[in-house]
Amino acid sequence: MSAVSEQIETPKVDANIRLQFAETMLSVGQADPQLVVMVGDISHFALQPFAEACPGRYYNIGICEPTSVSMAAGLSRVGLYPVFHTIAPFIIERSFEQIKLDFCYQKLGGNLVTVGSAFDYSNLGVTHHCYDDFALLKTLPNTEIFHPASAAEFDSLFRQSYRNDKLSLFRIPGKPHGLAINPDKIVAGTAIRIESGSNLTIVATGTQLASALGALVQLRASGWDPEILYIHTIQPLDIAGIRESVSKTGRVLVIEEHMENGGLGDSVLRGVHDLRPFQFASISIPNEFVTGYGSYEEHCETLGLTSAGILRTVEIEFDLP
Amino acid sequence: MSHNTLRREIVKMVVHGQNGHIPSAFSIVDIVEALYDKHLNVRSDDPDWADRDYFLLSKGHGCVALYAVLHQHGFLTDADLELFCKKGGILGEHPDMTKVPGAEASSGSLGHGLPFGAGIALGLQIQKKPNRIFVLCGDGECHEGTIWETAHVARNCLLGNLCVIVDWNQSGQQLLPIDDLPAKWSAFGWKTMVVNGHCQNELHEAIESHEFHTNGVPLAIIAQTVKGKGVPMLEGHGPWHHRIPNTDELAIIEKALQ
Repeated sequence: MSAVSEQIETPKVDANIRLQFAETMLSVGQADPQLVVMVGDISHFALQPFAEACPGRYYNIGICEPTSVSMAAGLSRVGLYPVFHTIAPFIIERSFEQIKLDFCYQKLGGNLVTVGSAFDYSNLGVTHHCYDDFALLKTLPNTEIFHPASAAEFDSLFRQSYRNDKLSLFRIPGKPHGLAINPDKIVAGTAIRIESGSNLTIVATGTQLASALGALVQLRASGWDPEILYIHTIQPLDIAGIRESVSKTGRVLVIEEHMENGGLGDSVLRGVHDLRPFQFASISIPNEFVTGYGSYEEHCETLGLTSAGILRTVEIEFDLP
Repeated sequence: MSHNTLRREIVKMVVHGQNGHIPSAFSIVDIVEALYDKHLNVRSDDPDWADRDYFLLSKGHGCVALYAVLHQHGFLTDADLELFCKKGGILGEHPDMTKVPGAEASSGSLGHGLPFGAGIALGLQIQKKPNRIFVLCGDGECHEGTIWETAHVARNCLLGNLCVIVDWNQSGQQLLPIDDLPAKWSAFGWKTMVVNGHCQNELHEAIESHEFHTNGVPLAIIAQTVKGKGVPMLEGHGPWHHRIPNTDELAIIEKALQ
């Protein structure tokens, strides 16, 4: 890992992560002449400061995502550090073979920055949803998957990782989790212990950290002493940190805005499967399309991706010691 | 080197390795040889030399032709060829750039080499380097949407350091007969030339007539070729696409290539 420029100031906890992406590109791009940004006709205006400050290194390629991914790999082949940014399904699903072959098989590093993952674009429907990105990228060697749910995390994780030889996915959620995290604790591949506890581990990623925090008071009132582990790096996953916690608590609940198959829950279960006895539960998106309409919050409500969903699941799935 | 010498090397590799696409290799071998003999600025003793030109074989199934030419130019050894498709070897039925010295892309799945090459071209344009990029595609490969996405993008990005050579052996037209490739590339704004892909002088003239430039019009050379060229028994679109000759057939092929 390498960082050619240092983070200047910690963004506010509710700062828009997508706008932070543009600010980070500007800051890193001014320090590193090898950074090149390509977009699929989104965030074009937000990235104009980068385009003006880094002439010849910004390309709004248009609506041709597979070719854009291949071209980004070509940039990497000649020693540049490419960033390709557009809506999640059009990179991860439509261009999966280009990621697999042109980056991963050829052992080239690069950076994919997505918005519109899970059901963030709730009313745009299934064509604009992407809740399989963890699962798909996990099948590919030489990949990293980051899920920064605060502007500070995006900035820090990008600077830590963008120049390495991995294909790095940065999944930007539409809504930050809202918690201020000590910048020193934001380390790629390392879980962050938000709360210490003794009899229940809650593993939360993305915006769902807010749901975990929101459930704390009532969980404690019910006799639980929860430990919250926040995961901003899905791959490589901090298995050691999760095992340490589950060894202590004997119970683990995973909450994520990803489909059940291949998500964080699967990885956690694989990582702790030999720590018997323990109890496991997960709150995720069922292995079905989300075809209903409504806001992001309403989708979360429907799927149990809320503090209330955590309380309900804990009551049903776990035995209070 | 005699064209038949390379063709004999290709047949020898395929028979020894019991794998490979002889007709596809015979279709492109004159083009690949012409590029390495006269146009590509490359170094066999330093395949990753920063100032090299790039050749990407996007139709990876023709790779035995590339292997034969890379061997001829010192990138590969006799031992490498002996181990074609054998355990412990570096040469498979599609080239792997992480293994093969001189291979610039790990091709096989069609429609990847040209956009990847366009990315290399864009990267060199950004770095203001004069290296040239040649990508050899199949005409069947031109069914892939990424070919035309790239045609569109490369022209708009003025990738004048990029040349696509299309191996127009009519494979694509077996399936989709309305296939005026020169008109298509021309319509996308590329400088388009049609040559006999088995006449190296025509290829040389086409390439030498073009001014490669990091901010210019990309070049499309539509090379009219014959699949299996050089051995009448193999020519055309019959069963020989991926067939290994038996002893009797090998004798016929060797006689034709004398």
